[in-house]
Amino acid sequence: MDFDAIVVGSGISGGWAAKELTQAGLKVLMIERGREIRHQQDYDTEMKAPWEMPFRGEGDTALYEREYPVQMLNRHFNEFTEGHFVNDAQNPYQTGDGTDFTWFRSYQLGGRSLTWGRQCYRWSDYDFGANARDGHGTDWPIRYADLAPWYDKVERFVGVSGANEGLKQLPDGQFQPPMALNVVEQHARAEIAKRWPERCLTVGRTANLTEAKTEEGRAPCQYRSICARGCSYGAYFSTQSSTLPAAMATGNLTVITDAVVEAVDFDPATQRARGVRYFDTKARVHKTASARLVFLNAGAFNSVHVLLNSATDAMPQGLANSSGVLGTHIMDHANTLSAAAIMPGFEGHTSFGNRPTGIVIPRYRNMDTLDGIGHTRGYSFQGGALQSTWTQGKRLAGTGTDYKNTLRKPGPWRMVLVTFADCVPRPTNRLTLDRSKTDANGLPQLKVDFAYGKEEHAALAQAKADAAEMLTAAGGHVIMGFDRPGAGGSSIHEMGGARMGRDPKTSVLNQWSQAHDVANLFVTDGAQMSSSASQNPSLTYMALTARAADAAVSMLREGKI
Amino acid sequence: MIVAADSPHPADTGWQRRDFLAGLALLGLAVGPAAAAVAASAPQDANIVRYQGLMRDVAQIVIPRTDTAGAGDVGAGAFVLLGLAHGLGGAHQPVTTSGLEGFSSADGRFDHARWLALELDRRAGGDFAHAGLPARQAAVAGLDRDAFADAPMAQPWRTIKNLVLTGYYTSEIGGSKELNYELVPGRWDPDVPVTPTTRAYSSDWTAIDFG
Repeated sequence: MDFDAIVVGSGISGGWAAKELTQAGLKVLMIERGREIRHQQDYDTEMKAPWEMPFRGEGDTALYEREYPVQMLNRHFNEFTEGHFVNDAQNPYQTGDGTDFTWFRSYQLGGRSLTWGRQCYRWSDYDFGANARDGHGTDWPIRYADLAPWYDKVERFVGVSGANEGLKQLPDGQFQPPMALNVVEQHARAEIAKRWPERCLTVGRTANLTEAKTEEGRAPCQYRSICARGCSYGAYFSTQSSTLPAAMATGNLTVITDAVVEAVDFDPATQRARGVRYFDTKARVHKTASARLVFLNAGAFNSVHVLLNSATDAMPQGLANSSGVLGTHIMDHANTLSAAAIMPGFEGHTSFGNRPTGIVIPRYRNMDTLDGIGHTRGYSFQGGALQSTWTQGKRLAGTGTDYKNTLRKPGPWRMVLVTFADCVPRPTNRLTLDRSKTDANGLPQLKVDFAYGKEEHAALAQAKADAAEMLTAAGGHVIMGFDRPGAGGSSIHEMGGARMGRDPKTSVLNQWSQAHDVANLFVTDGAQMSSSASQNPSLTYMALTARAADAAVSMLREGKI
Repeated sequence: MIVAADSPHPADTGWQRRDFLAGLALLGLAVGPAAAAVAASAPQDANIVRYQGLMRDVAQIVIPRTDTAGAGDVGAGAFVLLGLAHGLGGAHQPVTTSGLEGFSSADGRFDHARWLALELDRRAGGDFAHAGLPARQAAVAGLDRDAFADAPMAQPWRTIKNLVLTGYYTSEIGGSKELNYELVPGRWDPDVPVTPTTRAYSSDWTAIDFG
């Protein structure tokens, strides 16, 4: 064997797999399809001002429309960050009839850990019990108690700032001190709590440090809020700032970049994975690596792609797919801007610095009482209060000195609430391989079939009404709100496809994120998710990865795999 | 490449700034390689030379010199033309407004600069370029007023005006002298009193996107 373990992918979960496995003493190969990006050395635009950029930070729209038509829709995509996103023209995918799906991707060392939104929320038993309660999907084989110690572990290492609020639906954690709400948000929190005690507006729990982690070389947040450029302070959690140096420090890690994993090699005699086959995109040659363990952390959809593309005579439907559910039940939170309001009365107040997180109002529907109208799950709000700057001039009539002087001042306060609604797992929302279309590396393209259903539409309709009444109660004048979901994928929480479950006949993975069919194969990214909850999922991927790595090492040592 | 745990990192061969097209450099734009790759083939590049004087003048009328430089002074006019050529601010979206037919350029896109030149000539009663400053200011102000009253020229004018604003407030003077610019605030103060000297921040990225 070349290695004890192979980790496919270097993003949020891949970094955790590499860290945990190397710290347990295993010799690990991490394979990343994209280029190398070195911490503190390769964040090329981090310190640039707009006037130092060819297109002032906005970027070349004509170029983006040709080559980045999907990625350019990402809020964090701009001229400073374009190098941290894939070129869509070079990385095509297919969608089924009627599917509107935007797949946001970052193919590079660190993956989307460099560009993620950094929101860190624990799931609760309302979430792990959702499928069992309403019958959608398959029951999770774990509950909150199984994951709680692993949440503790990853929060401490990641460095999550946030406030403990004592909420059953959003469990407290091991947090650094929270960032403060601004004056408008403080007011809204108080007014909302007065009328609806069960609705808690709190600052977003974010993987941005408020206290240094000196032992890991990480400084506290500088309140720039340009995280997706890369942060040389190491103030937000990324593979580069956190898990990669920890894994490298063991001396047990080898990293290969510019290498696309094509398939997991399966040995039908032993029913075990032997390793992986990959394509060196620089040398343009196919290679292999062998190991006793394989962890798939390529990102939910790409891990499914690897499994589907690993079909052999022994497993013609794809590796670890005796159930036939591989690729099915994919999800993404249904999101929309539920309300935006002008917030008068705070004209004498402004703020300093750029807080890199907004606010969250955790779910309060369908907990102990089913009070959703037409839906049985949860939705939560994120957003915040902000002031305008010069871009308000685009909406204002005027020219000349008075106009210029108006734009010199901070503009009016406004507040927005964006809904993230639980997405019901459905067999018709699925990934397949389109073998008639290949990419630049000769691999079949992924095809996405996806649509929201009546449950998500009903949730967003109720959320719109709730958002308007909350901002109105806080003294705001609501100026707009929507109840139609954005395109699938636009929450960038795509997940599922290799779901965890109790029954090998109806699920791909067991309670240890381990393939039912292939004992030394683990899938610990978003693909393993059996339901979506309404919280941002990355923290849960990390906790599940750490837990799976611990289980895998134990099984290896006990000779079970 | 393989980076073992103890191996040194390879040399950085990454991004390096350099000026690009001489023609654009003459207009005072310091730009980099990303633009160079596409600027030379952009179909409306001829306008960057032909209408540079007009756009500089219009930018300066929208954002004039006060105790800080105006938009024309800092090259916002040239930025408008660059932006129009590269589709910034929706400049490549079709303009289907009745009455604005005939302004398509060779590539089929709306030719904002040519339209603006004719529109301002019409409003100035002849030759905008040679009218006095008050007449030119009145022509631009009238166009802006009509556009914000949803007259047919709303779309092309607002595209141009937006690019003037972007060109100015993302320039060093507009961004860091007229407004405040702080790349590394170092702290978050959630409640600061507004005073007569308070200025907005051009580095408030959330406000830029959503404000």
